[in-house]
Amino acid sequence: MLLLDIRNLTLELETSQGLIRAVDRVSLSLREGEIRGLVGESGSGKSLIAKAIVGVLNQRWRIKADRFHWCGVDLLQLPYDQQRKIIGRDIAMIYQEPSKCLDPTALIAEQLHESIPNQLLKGGWWNRAREKRKKAIALLHKVGIKEHQSVLESYPYQLSEGVCQKVMIAMAIAKNPKLLIADEPTTALEASTQAQLFRLISSLNQLKGMSVLLISNELDSIARYTHHLSVLYCGQLVESGETAKLLAQPFHPYTNALIKSVPEFQPELAPKSQLYALPGSIPTLQHLPVGCRLGPRCPNARKECVHTPALERKQHHFFSCHFPLQYKEPQ
Amino acid sequence: MIWHYLVRRLFLLSFVFFALTCFAFSLGHLFPGDPLVNFSGISQPDDELLPILVQQYQLDNGYLQQYIAFLQRILQGDWGLSLASQQPVLYELSQVFPATLELVAYALLISFVLGVPLGLLAAIKASHWSGRVISTIALLGYSLPIFWWALLMIMLFSIGLGWFPTSGRISVLYEIPSVTGFMLPDILLSGQTYWQAALQDAIRHLWLPAFVLATYPTTVMIRFTRDAMLNVWQQSYIKTARAKGLSRSQVLYRHGLRNAMLPVMRQLGLQFSTLVTLAMISELIFSWPGIGLWLLDSISQRNYPAIQGGLLVISSLVILVNILMDVLHTLFNPLARKQANG
Repeated sequence: MLLLDIRNLTLELETSQGLIRAVDRVSLSLREGEIRGLVGESGSGKSLIAKAIVGVLNQRWRIKADRFHWCGVDLLQLPYDQQRKIIGRDIAMIYQEPSKCLDPTALIAEQLHESIPNQLLKGGWWNRAREKRKKAIALLHKVGIKEHQSVLESYPYQLSEGVCQKVMIAMAIAKNPKLLIADEPTTALEASTQAQLFRLISSLNQLKGMSVLLISNELDSIARYTHHLSVLYCGQLVESGETAKLLAQPFHPYTNALIKSVPEFQPELAPKSQLYALPGSIPTLQHLPVGCRLGPRCPNARKECVHTPALERKQHHFFSCHFPLQYKEPQ
Repeated sequence: MIWHYLVRRLFLLSFVFFALTCFAFSLGHLFPGDPLVNFSGISQPDDELLPILVQQYQLDNGYLQQYIAFLQRILQGDWGLSLASQQPVLYELSQVFPATLELVAYALLISFVLGVPLGLLAAIKASHWSGRVISTIALLGYSLPIFWWALLMIMLFSIGLGWFPTSGRISVLYEIPSVTGFMLPDILLSGQTYWQAALQDAIRHLWLPAFVLATYPTTVMIRFTRDAMLNVWQQSYIKTARAKGLSRSQVLYRHGLRNAMLPVMRQLGLQFSTLVTLAMISELIFSWPGIGLWLLDSISQRNYPAIQGGLLVISSLVILVNILMDVLHTLFNPLARKQANG
């Protein structure tokens, strides 16, 4: 069953220079129990999409979508209160800088307690505090923190970023969400902690069937843990599909460049040879090219590329390119 | 860890007091006239007393011995005599100082009770008309000259409407013995038959000066609470708390208020010296028998021992409050504790 089903999501920002379309007709769907990766350079609109799903976008943004379904309910049609209620119940989110997302003047115990909803507790109000404490310790154990006593009695500044992120995950899974959105959860962490957190997230996915939307700008680090990938460029969805197939046979030049820029994906690469990269750099939001936004940087761009290509489909593999690589027309 | 910090604060305190006493001591020599008179407050010492005083004040010796003698006298409570009344300066101070403390305390109380909620309201409704009105009034109150504002209030409430008396602490009808020096507790402790009437009268006397004096700290509180709250409301942890599904008021009380009050508390310590200055002005206008009125009288009478004593007391108060606020800020703010420990 489709948990999240978004068709042609468009996010526009009104500025003094006119309307800026930061996210252009992006489609995204997520099945129950799946980990989907959302990859793109910074500024490609990954975080905006996440914020739009959680409903914490600024007032200045205009959200349009042909379909914005959560468990079969169109969220955009609902009044604000109900929207908040559904999202607050089902979706949890963790962010880039965990230590800034924890209240600096409150103990971890307090912050963890308040994220446990009352309806998950058994027993009456008189032993609610004890129940919450037990639950908090269990949550910390679940995310792999063994010294629960010292962590519960710490302030965020006394903990490392990695432990903070684990606490954030503990707070996020306290309400048993159906979907966890992780917005670049490991950017501030060192390599060993990164791997630890990814393993934690994928074990939560396997054990509890929790869906995960993993947002990152590093293809190599999330490729191992995701079932499906969506690649964004400048607010346009360029390609999406099963991770393994997409990595083995990318259709879009941008995905191809992304894969080729990572040495890990190319075992036969000669030592000290130059890594492949597209010429130029990502355009600013005020000067977006018309049509396919990769156009000016694309090695095989032609005249047709001034029109935005439609999303084409080959089995479960979607791509939007007029001239896909290695693509054979189905007979 | 926290003791380390407290000891460091105490060191700072002792250095500041050292500088302060040095300054107060040097005033005795810098003021025009005989240093002996400036220190002792005895305007014409006779021939018997003169050598005793010179010996006591070490005036024949160098400045260092004089300073040590001065410190000893300050610690022993011998602050000299007031040139005007020939009463001990310390005794006069003990009569007027509590009155000032009382006034400042009530003004601060008003500023807390009014300023914090109004500041919060102005932050939450920042773009709403109510928020704008509060901000405008706060700016207006912040920039009002207090002497003009006090006169205006007297004209309106005392002379025009006749609600409150224009001056003084309590009507001369009531005889209240001074126990603590603070009027309201003294009335309660006095055990007089007319204590209820006296209490009412004292409160009526208190209203106007306390309100006028509270104008400045209240507007400061509103402005700082508003700014701090707007700043805190942008932080990631507030968004996280919202994402947890907490309601707006829960987020406000559990995460917003505590973080926003920390910078406000620190500002309050910094603004305290301004508050004391303003208290002196309002004491003058309302004839409030506090240290400000007494000190201003002493200045116009060239009463040097009294000026010296008043300076010591007021500066010590400001320094103590500053350091106290700093310590409190550190106690309540885990982040500051981290920095305090290096």
